[in-house]
Amino acid sequence: MADKSKIGMEFPPFTMVVEKIKIAEFAAAVGLKNSSEEIDSIYYDEEAARKAGYKGIPVPPTFMTSCFFWTDGLMGIVKALGFDLEKLLHSEEEYEYLGQMYAGDVITRKMKVVDMYERGQKDRPGRFAEVTVLETELINQRGELVTKVRSTMIER
Amino acid sequence: MTLTSESINVGDQMPVYTSVPITRSHLVRYAGASGDFNPLHHDETFVRMIGMQSVIAHGMLIMGIAGEAIVSWTPHKYLRKFHSRFLGMTQPVDWNDAENTKKRATIVVTGKIVKKYEENGEKRIRCNIVAKDLTGSRKLDGYFIAALP
Repeated sequence: MADKSKIGMEFPPFTMVVEKIKIAEFAAAVGLKNSSEEIDSIYYDEEAARKAGYKGIPVPPTFMTSCFFWTDGLMGIVKALGFDLEKLLHSEEEYEYLGQMYAGDVITRKMKVVDMYERGQKDRPGRFAEVTVLETELINQRGELVTKVRSTMIER
Repeated sequence: MTLTSESINVGDQMPVYTSVPITRSHLVRYAGASGDFNPLHHDETFVRMIGMQSVIAHGMLIMGIAGEAIVSWTPHKYLRKFHSRFLGMTQPVDWNDAENTKKRATIVVTGKIVKKYEENGEKRIRCNIVAKDLTGSRKLDGYFIAALP
């Protein structure tokens, strides 16, 4: 069960480089491709990316999810918030794109627990869930907020 | 064809996007690419221990597939927001019963423009999306907002 005393808790900021090869790997994964050669060339060829109107190699729209797993990964978050892994489900995810993220950017992740509450009634199994909402700001090397992420997790 | 605000109207459909059937290898590839190593998505022994039949796809893989559907139509430099609500689990293909399990593992993404408006000096559209498998079971719904030239 999520530990409600963690509302407002901020995870320590973490900074990481967006690696070019990880972008191609991610694009192949969400495209269900068997090789990075089968993906759109904007994800590995700077020239192709510029021709398509990008200042560098862009990331797929859900790439930011990988920032969630930085540092000690899912298990670190599960432990920090007191989640029960066997009951944990991802309920909603939202990205607000305020800028672009490119290969080589140095991104700082600021993640915070913004809400924890109960949904439904305890005496109606299957309908009851404990909800945790995380908000994450991804800020680039120039201090620009490039993406805001809102993730809703539930335990049933 | 270049997508412009002029060429799009409320009620227009996004081109239908159909994935290949998701396999366990795809789940492992996505786990490595995203860093999500929840055993629910690759470890059959963990899954059985908690009373489930099969590993399931990451909800975020299905959202990633929906993202592919979107950017194959609307370049993501135009995207302003992308929201998904996860509705159902997706089991991958069982190779020893591929004929009967292919449909449940194939994702179809559809979308419809529901709003055309101006915001922040941009011409924006809101497009509602749904991802289902080939048996009709809903996996996620949501929307994206894009600013078009």
